[in-house]
Amino acid sequence: MSNIITNDSIRCAVATTGLYNVYDPEIGLNVVDLGLIYQIDFDEAAKQIHATMTLTTQFCPMGDSIVSNVIQSLGESFSDFEPHVYLTFEPPWSHNRISEAGQEFLSR
Amino acid sequence: MFGGGGLGGMQQTTSYKVVLPFYAYAALSFLVACILLLFHTNLADQHYFFPGTLSITHLMALGWCTMIIMGASHQLVPVLIEGKLASERLAFLSFLFCALGIPLLVCGFYEFNTGWPLQTGAILINLGVICFLANMLSSVVQSKQRDVHSWYMAAASLWLFSTTFFGLLLVFNFQNPLLPKGSVSYLSLHAHMGLAGWFLLLVIGVASRLIPMFLISKYTNRKRLWWVFGLVNGGLITFILMRLAGLNTFWYYVPLLMVLAAILLFAGYCRAAYKVRIRKNVDAQVNISLISVAQMLLPLIALAGILVLKPEHQTETVLVYGFCIFFGWLSALIMGMTFKTLPFIVWNKVYHHKAHASAAPAPKELFNEKIFGLMKKLYLAGFVVFIAGIFLKTQWLLILGASALLLAAILYVTNVGITLTHKPKS
Repeated sequence: MSNIITNDSIRCAVATTGLYNVYDPEIGLNVVDLGLIYQIDFDEAAKQIHATMTLTTQFCPMGDSIVSNVIQSLGESFSDFEPHVYLTFEPPWSHNRISEAGQEFLSR
Repeated sequence: MFGGGGLGGMQQTTSYKVVLPFYAYAALSFLVACILLLFHTNLADQHYFFPGTLSITHLMALGWCTMIIMGASHQLVPVLIEGKLASERLAFLSFLFCALGIPLLVCGFYEFNTGWPLQTGAILINLGVICFLANMLSSVVQSKQRDVHSWYMAAASLWLFSTTFFGLLLVFNFQNPLLPKGSVSYLSLHAHMGLAGWFLLLVIGVASRLIPMFLISKYTNRKRLWWVFGLVNGGLITFILMRLAGLNTFWYYVPLLMVLAAILLFAGYCRAAYKVRIRKNVDAQVNISLISVAQMLLPLIALAGILVLKPEHQTETVLVYGFCIFFGWLSALIMGMTFKTLPFIVWNKVYHHKAHASAAPAPKELFNEKIFGLMKKLYLAGFVVFIAGIFLKTQWLLILGASALLLAAILYVTNVGITLTHKPKS
């Protein structure tokens, strides 16, 4: 599927299904296949989702929009959870994070 | 496992309100410059220090190329230097001063009135450039990283100020002798500070960051970029020193070869990035920008011609040189990059919270691709025909070339208008 770290693989699969519809508008590829999502953890007790993600480049002009839509997508997938998204550039995004499906899309 | 998160890095992009006026102003300047070109096709028979030529050159250099590059710089500087733009207020002021100063300067040249219109225009433009310089230098100083791209940005901004300040001295030198010689003697210094120092350095600095990004290329070679940086700056400083020392034209091959080497190294950089790209389907906007890298060589060939040819053949070669730069290399680059950057700025404004698959169109759908394709063909045809007209001294070819360029400019303005006025479909 993807290389996302999680403490709840079943819920993560649900979250990922929603995130497949969030796109990097410049590249035209979704954030999962692009490898922007590093980690999604679920805190059952606090009813919170903690997602850690990156961008293809720091200060990406579309970054604000992409992050907003990741938050929105997680909120829609789990209406009883409060989504928190953390942006990190350590480690920075690299081409190796693009999934096979993503590589295929870009090589068309 | 992952470094400190948070959303502190967000909201760092420059507001569209600051950037879009530059794009609109530049598009209209390009249109006016093409209209002037059509009505002054006789400039091919004139010396380059001719009111029509001077006004078209300054409208192209300042109104078209500099305004759009300054606007795009405000948007792209965070990506380039990995830091926030220091001040949106300074960005607005730089637009205001330049937007008021450029028409005065251009009208001053057109009427060849060396009095208040030219002087006021030059002062206002310098105020705008000082705001831009202060903004760029502050941004670079405040950013955490001092990468090679930051140096390109800072150096190019300094050369822009050197060019406009020297231009200001030349304007005042018309009426009050401030310099040892007449203003015409210093034109080549003024022009090359702008061409190599501002345009070439900034274009290479920005393109070396954006082209691999747009191609999703793994290629990076900072050492090569430092060599290019050194060769362009070194070549330009060598030229200025030689010109001030009054050396024989033979020696001008030295800076020419330095800049040629820099362009070839940069072309090699783009080729290497293109070869290892992950994104195989390169869009038309990036393609036209890559073509413009090859177009960088045309002015250098013309420049070598100026050095080799006898003075009686130099007039048309100088015109071809300037034409290849402003209507060739820079216009091709700007036409391509406008529709690579502007749709994203407008998209961010209109669809900020709608990046879901079905909710928003792709940014490339914000302009008309058919108009873009037709514009590209008319532009290339007009460019080639006009150059043929200069060499063959054939008036109908010049009119035909200028007409094609004007039609390309109309299509460009139309497409910019379509993008700027885009509304979300209900």
